[in-house]
Formats: sequence, structure tokens, C-alpha cells
Amino acid sequence: MSGSNSLLTATVEHLSRFAPFDSMAAEDLLWLAQHLSLVYYHNGEVLLAPSEGVSERVLIIKQGRVVGESGEAGAWLELHEGEAFPIGAVLSNRPVVSTFRAQGDVFAYVLGAEDFRRLLERSLPFSRFCTERIANLLDQSQRSLQGVYAASSNERQSLHSPLSSLARRAPVTCLPETMLGEALQTIQAQKISAIVIADEAQHPLGVFSVRDLIGRVILPGLSLTTPIRAVMTPDPMTLPPSAHAFEAALLMAQHGFRHVLMAEEGRVTGVISEKDLFSLQRVGVTQISAAIRSATRLEDLRTFAEDIRQLGHNMLAQGVGSEQLTQIISTLNDLLTQRVITLECGQDCPYRFCWLAFGSEGRLEQTLSTDQDNGLIFILPAGEDLETVRARLLALSERINKALDACGFPLCKGQVMASNPRWCLTLDEWKSTFAHWIDSGDPEALLNASIFFDIRPLFGVDALATELRAWLADYVQAAPRFLHQMAVNALRNRPPLGLIRDFVVTSASGEHPATLDLKLNGTTPFVDAARIFALAIGSSASGTAARLRAAAAPLNIPSVEVEAWISSFFFLQLLRLRRQHEESLAGETLDNHIDPDRLNDLDRRILKESFRQARKLQSRLAMDYQA
Amino acid sequence: MSNILMRLRRHWRGLELLPAQQQRLEAWQSQPAEDLRRPFAEARYVVVDVESTGLDLQKDRLIAIGAVAVVGGRIDFAQSFEVVLRQDQASSRANILIHGIGGEAQREGQAPAEALLDFLEFLGTSPLVAFHVAFDRTMIVRAMRAYLGLNLKHPWLDLAYVVPELLPQWQHKYRALDDWTGHFGIGNFARHSALADALATAQLLLVALPLAKDKHSEHYHSLQALEQARRWVSGQN
Repeated sequence: MSGSNSLLTATVEHLSRFAPFDSMAAEDLLWLAQHLSLVYYHNGEVLLAPSEGVSERVLIIKQGRVVGESGEAGAWLELHEGEAFPIGAVLSNRPVVSTFRAQGDVFAYVLGAEDFRRLLERSLPFSRFCTERIANLLDQSQRSLQGVYAASSNERQSLHSPLSSLARRAPVTCLPETMLGEALQTIQAQKISAIVIADEAQHPLGVFSVRDLIGRVILPGLSLTTPIRAVMTPDPMTLPPSAHAFEAALLMAQHGFRHVLMAEEGRVTGVISEKDLFSLQRVGVTQISAAIRSATRLEDLRTFAEDIRQLGHNMLAQGVGSEQLTQIISTLNDLLTQRVITLECGQDCPYRFCWLAFGSEGRLEQTLSTDQDNGLIFILPAGEDLETVRARLLALSERINKALDACGFPLCKGQVMASNPRWCLTLDEWKSTFAHWIDSGDPEALLNASIFFDIRPLFGVDALATELRAWLADYVQAAPRFLHQMAVNALRNRPPLGLIRDFVVTSASGEHPATLDLKLNGTTPFVDAARIFALAIGSSASGTAARLRAAAAPLNIPSVEVEAWISSFFFLQLLRLRRQHEESLAGETLDNHIDPDRLNDLDRRILKESFRQARKLQSRLAMDYQA
Repeated sequence: MSNILMRLRRHWRGLELLPAQQQRLEAWQSQPAEDLRRPFAEARYVVVDVESTGLDLQKDRLIAIGAVAVVGGRIDFAQSFEVVLRQDQASSRANILIHGIGGEAQREGQAPAEALLDFLEFLGTSPLVAFHVAFDRTMIVRAMRAYLGLNLKHPWLDLAYVVPELLPQWQHKYRALDDWTGHFGIGNFARHSALADALATAQLLLVALPLAKDKHSEHYHSLQALEQARRWVSGQN
């Protein structure tokens, strides 16, 4: 057992061609090889599934290809030789999120969970690889951020759907002797792009599409009494309902058709258009954004909002870092909100205004669960009555707020919404509201500052928001007392580190017994401190990371320190996202509470370190403001 | 004449076993026979491959044994075995080129009796599996007799007969181990090294087990029946 042999040596050599094994010590690799076994999976066989419960083993692919499939998202991940999985699940003692399936013959090395943990202790490069994966998975996320990975895997998935799931309606057919005029009327009435020419028994004979009209009918000057068989594309391509979408795409690409027929036993049962195939691919960053931009109906936007959330879950499962993930979600949510406003405003909105995002949306830090925080700045047209204009804009805002609610952004419980007369103001009104808060410095003002001072223009006249922000920066800088009060207030919220136990959890009898609130006690200290720093230096940066970075030089904070704060902040965000992801899979309401005892050692260590960083950040704040 | 010599030599070598070796041999022999009807998931098989001085079953000698254990349908790397038997005289240059065990390595190998006892202990009571059993079995049985005075009667299974029976669509196309492993994309880290070939054979066994299960063959004994059927069909009963 202690010795080596040519099999173990060859295994070591094989593994050391891949990360992280390539950076591990020879003796640890040999130890690993001695603790492996080799398993075979035939094509389509499941290697790991969520239903197996807590994952008891890590697999390393020796040869072959494995795909990860997750719920509706289908296959989103492809794993190859040398790749190890599911590290996250084994580290955190939880079931896998995806189903892993063999594509073709697969041989995989198996390492038991116990041995995996022993290897973590033995090998620093190995544990660092696994830890960093958990902390931010930056390398992988970079790939997916560029959308390449996400888009291509989604495309692959969607094009694997059977045609039967795509055909949206029964085919519209006509007989070959039908007059062209009549066929065109049918096309018009049924709002279809092509008609199938079939005999009595529904055997397809040809296809005529609206696009054929110019070339085959209008330019040759054919009469509308011409039988349709004279102008149809004969011998249409057919595929069985069980064929995959990509086969249809392939046929279209090869022959330049825009329609492929679905047929069973020679009878046409459906028409697949290019558009049907394209709409499949919308669950990708570029696809969703393109689809949102061109949406014309609220119902469609509702579907896209669901797609955004699905994308968020997929990307999380894929290991995209929390920084990128929250930015992408926020960006897509922005687009969606903009489209909702455009649709609700209609063509000729008589007023000039700017729709504002506050809070996490204002900072581009939205998680998977997010309610509305918005407001409106408007310009009062000369000669019009302020309250009349406000009333109209309130009515518009109410429609927008309701539409957003329908898209899955719940109405704000605290009424921070543009449909609230308090937050539908002219620029001057906003300034005097902010000035009042800053001058009074009472608890409510401080609370409001933490929401409303994270402003981002979302729609309309951006300059209004930019001016408000610039004015705010000047006004606050001239009011050091308010910054001091903000700091004192922020420092009331201490990271939950205990002297005796690692963490101080909530009481055992509350709504979330014995848990940590990752938002209130986790990310909020970072967000609050970053806001104060940004205000102090007059920075217009809106995100927590950007604010901290901007503050480093002017406030003379070493950048290593700042980067440690930022990593900690993103780790806490990641834990929140992961928690919400799990809750969403389990069909629970999304919150930010975790039980630290249910985290694995590694995550608990990182969590503790993150809270320590929050404490360091707070001491810096306390020092700067003698709070 | 040579027969008498061989018997004498065997006798001589038998006497040569040290008391400790004799004890190990007896301990191995005293184990109860394996239940060959244990389902795959609970059984342990030893997949073996040997290297020799040549292909002549009568004259050539055993040089190396490589073996891996398939336990519950998995190849357990901790249970992999490799040994070179010390040779008084190195094999020919052409032969060395095949298996890559050089003259020095051959002369520095383990004392044959020790090597074979190690193998027996690794084997335990588990039934054996190989590809083209006749060769491996002959080499091992002869060495056992020569160095340990042991008449090895152990169950063997020949994948060269079982696999075509499970995949009849390929039976005419594939014959050699390389053909079959190539079909399943099974690599070989060092062809004609006993352990590497044993691993490739074991991987082929892993592929075969679920196929056998599909045909309601769920233990070693029924795999042996498949082999028999195949031998009968191909006239090599």
C-alpha cells in the first residue's frame, strides 16, 4: 500500500496534466492515486443526481464527456478529461444541484468524500484550488461572463429539444388547386408566415411562405387566381416530431428554408419556422437582452423576467462569481424596467422625467430576490400646474410599478416607489428633501440616506439624476456632522463575531432561529461604509466595490486592504445568492438567513474571515469619524 | 529424461521453501472456496495479465504479473499489483523490446517464490479474469508448480469469449484486446506492460458487467456460462 507501481505512476502522470493536480506535490498525488477507484458509466448513465442526497464522492474524468443538467435549464455544463466535480457540493456537504450524465463511454476516478477531506488537509495547492472555487470561482466566471460559455451551452441545450415541443399550433394547410388569392387570405387571417400545401390525406406537397410572394407572384405579375401549386416550393423537407430542433436548424441552414415540416406517418402535423428555433435560445445574456428590447407586450416581458431569474440560477450553478452575477442580473433587470416604462409611456409622453433606481438596484447589486426601490425626477413644463403634472406622473408610475410587480419585482413594502407622492418630485424638491435629511440627521433621515443616496438613472433624462448626485456630493461634503452621524449609525450594526463561539446567531425563538442575517450583518456593514467613504470624497461611483476602490487613494487606505474588503463583500454576496438559489429550488421564500452550523468548515472559515474584514473596515470608519 | 529432471527440480524447489513461505502457502490454501454466485456489486475479481520470455507455452518463462482488483464493479487502485520475477538469465533482446522489462530489471526482480506468494495473497479467494486466458493461465500455473509446488486450481474467466457474446454485432470485427478497448476508447498507459494491460482488461470488464446484467447475467458463474456457450459456438470447447 505504501509503495508505488506503474499503474499508480501512470495515474499520477495523467492527473498532473490538469489543474490543480499539476501544482500538487508528488507525494500527495501518489497518495491521491492510491485512494482512487475507477468506475465506468455507459452513455446516458447518471453519475450524480440531486436525489442521491449529500454527495459522498468527487469524480475526476479519466476519459469521456459528462454533462451537467439542471431543471428547466437543461444541459448547461460540459465536463472533460481531468475535470473534478462536484467540489462545491462535497465541500459543503450538500447534494449536487445538477444531474451529471455520461455522454458516450465515460471512465471516472472516484475519490470518497472522507479521502477528499484528507487530501484538502494534506495539500495546500489542492485546498487552495477548492477554496478559491468556493470564494469566487473567478476563472470560470470570467469565461461565462463573456457569455461565450453560457450562450453556447444554452444554445446546445435548447436545440436538443424535440420538435414536438416547438410546434405551437396545428398546421394551416390548403389543397394544391386552391387559388393564390384564397391562400393569401388564409395566411393573412391566421397570422402565419407560411401555408402548407397538402392533399386530402394531409400528405404535404409543398410550402408557400410570405417571403415567396415578391419573387414568385408580384414580380412575374401572376394573377391571384393562379393555383397555389404553381408557386409553392415543392417536396418540402419533413422531420418526425421526435427529431431534435438542431436537425431542423441544420436543414434550414443547408437548404436556405425558413420552414421545416413536422410529419408523422407521412401526414403533416406541424410547421417549424426559423423564428420558433430562435426563440428557444433566448435564455442567454445576449438573447434575453435582444428579446427584451424588441418586446411589445407586457406578457412577453413577464416571461423574460422569469428567464432572467432562470439565467441567474444557471449562472450561479455554473459558478459565476457574485460580482459578475449581480451586475448581469441588475443590467438585465434595468433593460426590462426600461422596456416596461417605454411600453407604459407610449409614444408621446408629454413630460420629461428621469426614472431612478435606489438601494441595491441603484448600486447594481441586485440578488435573486429583490423588490422595487424607485423614484422619479420630473421637469415641470412652463405654465403648468405642479400638482396636476405630479398626479399624471403618479398615475403613470403606478402602472409601471404594477407592471414591474407582475414581472416578479414585488412592490416595496416601505413604499419607496415612484407612485408614492413623496418620491415623485422635481429636482428642486429632491434637493430640499435631501437637504432636510442632511440638516436634521435624525434616525429616519439616516435610514433614508442609506436607500436614497444610492441613486442611478434608469430611464429618461439622465442629466437630472446626474445633477442631483453632483449636488448631493457637494452638500454632504459641506456637512461633516451628517457623515459623522452616518458613521455612528453604521457602526451600530456590528458583524456577528462572538468571543466564545465563532458567530453570534439570532435568538432561538425568533422568526429565523439561531441564524445569521447575511444581508443585515454581512453585506450591509460593507455597503454602509462604502457609501460614507464615497460621499466623503465626493465620488459618484454607485457600487460598493467601485466606491471602496475609489476611496483607497484619497483616504490613504492600502489597496490590499481594500481588495480584502471587496473579496469579503463578494463572498457574502455569493453566500446570499447560494442561499436564495437553494431556497428557490426547494420552493421556499427567499431570505438572507443562514445557519452557520450547516456550512462546511471551509465556508465557515471564509465567513469568519469576511466578518473579521467587516470589523477592520468598521474600525477604519470609527477612526476616521471618531465614532 | 527431461520430465524426470523437471520433477526433480520441482521437488528440489519445493524443499527450498522456507518455513515462513510454507506457512504462507498453507494459509492461502486453507481459505474456503469463493462463492461464484455473488452479485457483481458485492464481488471481488482479480484481473490479471502476464509478461513472459516468449509465446511458447511449453518453453517460455513467466517474467511479470500485473493485476488489479475489481471490487463491487470498481477498479480499486489501492489494490493494484505488479511484480517482476527474478530471472537467472535475461530474455532475448527482441523479447525485452516487447514488454520493456530490461535484462537488469529481470535479474533484479523478486525471488520467484516470494513473488508468487505475494500474488497469491493479493489474489485471495477472488476468481481470476483475463483476456485470452490460455496464455496467462498456463504461465501462472506452470510457475506456481515450479516454484511453489502448487497445483493452482483457480476459476478463470476469459473476456475474449465473454465480450463477443455480449456484443455480437462486433464479434466478427474485433478479436484482440486492442480492438475492444479501442472501441470503447479505453486507453493503455503502457501496452505490453502487465499492469497496464491488466488495467485495460479490467476496464473492459467494467464495460461488460452492465451489458451482462442486461442479459440477466449477474455473477461470475453466469459469466462463465456465457464463456462456455461462446466456446461451444466457436468450436473451442
